Amino acid sequence: MLKGITRIGECEWEVPIGYVPDMRVPGRFFLSDELAPSLEEGAVRQLAHVATMPGIVKYSLAMPDIHWGYGFPIGGVAAFDMETGVISPGGVGFDINCGVRLMTTPLTADEIASNKREVIEAVFRAVPTGVGSRSSVTISSGELDRMMVKGAAWAVEHGFGLEADLACCEEQGCMQQADTAAVSGKAKTRGMPQLGTLGSGNHFLEFQVVAEVYDEAAAAAFGVEVGQVCIMIHCGSRGLGHQVCTDHLKVLEQAARRYQIQLPDRQLACAPLTSPEGEAYFKGMACAANYAWANRQMIMHSTRKVMEKMYDIDYEDMPLVYDVAHNVAKREEHMVDGRRRQLCVHRKGATRAFGPDCHDVPERYSGVGQPVIIPGSMGTSSYLLHGTETAMVRTFGSTCHGAGRVLSRTKAKKMMRGQDVRARLLKRGIYVRAHHDSAIAEEAPESYKPSDEVVNVVNAVGISRPVARLEPLGVIKG
Amino acid sequence: MGIEQLDHTADVLIRVSGDTLDDLFEEAARAMFQVIFPAHPAEPHDRRETAARVHTFTTESDDIDSLLHDYLSELLFISDAEGVVFSRFSVKVRDTSLVCTAEGEPFDPEKHGGGMEIKGISYSGLHIIKKHGAHVVDILFDV
Repeated sequence: MLKGITRIGECEWEVPIGYVPDMRVPGRFFLSDELAPSLEEGAVRQLAHVATMPGIVKYSLAMPDIHWGYGFPIGGVAAFDMETGVISPGGVGFDINCGVRLMTTPLTADEIASNKREVIEAVFRAVPTGVGSRSSVTISSGELDRMMVKGAAWAVEHGFGLEADLACCEEQGCMQQADTAAVSGKAKTRGMPQLGTLGSGNHFLEFQVVAEVYDEAAAAAFGVEVGQVCIMIHCGSRGLGHQVCTDHLKVLEQAARRYQIQLPDRQLACAPLTSPEGEAYFKGMACAANYAWANRQMIMHSTRKVMEKMYDIDYEDMPLVYDVAHNVAKREEHMVDGRRRQLCVHRKGATRAFGPDCHDVPERYSGVGQPVIIPGSMGTSSYLLHGTETAMVRTFGSTCHGAGRVLSRTKAKKMMRGQDVRARLLKRGIYVRAHHDSAIAEEAPESYKPSDEVVNVVNAVGISRPVARLEPLGVIKG
Repeated sequence: MGIEQLDHTADVLIRVSGDTLDDLFEEAARAMFQVIFPAHPAEPHDRRETAARVHTFTTESDDIDSLLHDYLSELLFISDAEGVVFSRFSVKVRDTSLVCTAEGEPFDPEKHGGGMEIKGISYSGLHIIKKHGAHVVDILFDV
């Protein structure tokens, strides 16, 4: 382990005050011995930097998929007091409400085995992907405004889904604080033609099979069983969210100086939650988050339409299990040292993992906990977990968000050729579709930490519990 | 003048250098568009035929590092909003403002696909320094 870090549990480590100057609270992160060698000093430094920000409560936290990002580390979680704390785009990222959703189908892996390639090609045609992709849906700027206010509900009202889908989204797919006045014309210009597009980089749409169930009762509540085909969608708020971040980052960078907030990294630019600048960012961020929920809803709709036609199954028989955000800041109430407190919880590459009795857990999952969806990389397992009371106590109701990269894109491309990775995965029965092979090399399984070990750690710490493991059958790469 | 890709686990980190600030800013734009459109490498100003799309804009910021950030963000916006693949840049920096003329062509998925969208330009570590008479900066692009 890196110098200056103290082990305080089997999978828990503390970054003491003083690791970098001006820390207000210690840092804490969760990591097993197996994952420890992949820890980067840069990520720990970023974790410590977050601890210097005004109004931070208890700890600057990081989940076991911690890695070096910008501003916050990826996997970072920090809660700020609503009265004395700050809000920062550096704790959310450019891709506001990048997130994951999982839907089930009534099909088994055997039933799609004979035409898996055809169905993936059909979905690939239905969902625009890659750099420069444009939506097949045209909307007016007035509609875009309504969509940013209503989120996933806007999509459902326009025929892109079911009323029941909404209950299975974090925040019901809509942050109420959205105010389109906080979204620039530039952001709207970018957002309008990209609705319902997947994007590029690590975004994907994957066909999976439930390979193993660990918790029968929870799996039954979530509607999953062994052998069943599920579809996972990973994407965010597209150019609209990127522009909202860019616009407000500039404002908050100047505001931080005006409010005399000393920061070790300009990307941590922030303003008091109660300031006009802080409130404006929050409202704009909520608009982008709502855009992302509508976006994933529309991609799921296009996928359902393909499945409906190809397999003669009912649209209603492909329910949404859940949709989680993993780049967002939210106003939440948490118990801190026996006291109920209003906090702004930033999760950057981290997932909310509310326990069984929490507010905002769908009624049908009460008694189990909020579903948590952890995507693996192209060739590795993904997991469905549930949130726990321990997460509420220890991590402001948060857990990991994915496998976490270990290889840079440059190294991955040097080490592997996309066509080889594609061929290798095909031998294992995984059909990969992308516009170009280079996208496949960058996202090769070797580029990521093993998702199994990341899940083992969150299970060992108790901040979420595995419900089922899903294995890839085919993937569309953005 | 140069573009060197450095190692960064999650995102794309590029070291850019230029003899003058004008050179540095032009080179930074080339580096950015090579990430987004690798199949269509951006070239120095005088190597190509007149491009089909030309955009001229001005940017003003509080300091030189912010100017680089805001200028690249503006290019990113124009490229995404207008669907233009920029390949030639002419920049004149004056204190903390600049005028840029960027030339390119309309995006064509067949010709320009296969790259990675850049979500934003990070302020992390974005600090222009002078080294051996040249201007050097490390730019972290979120992809």
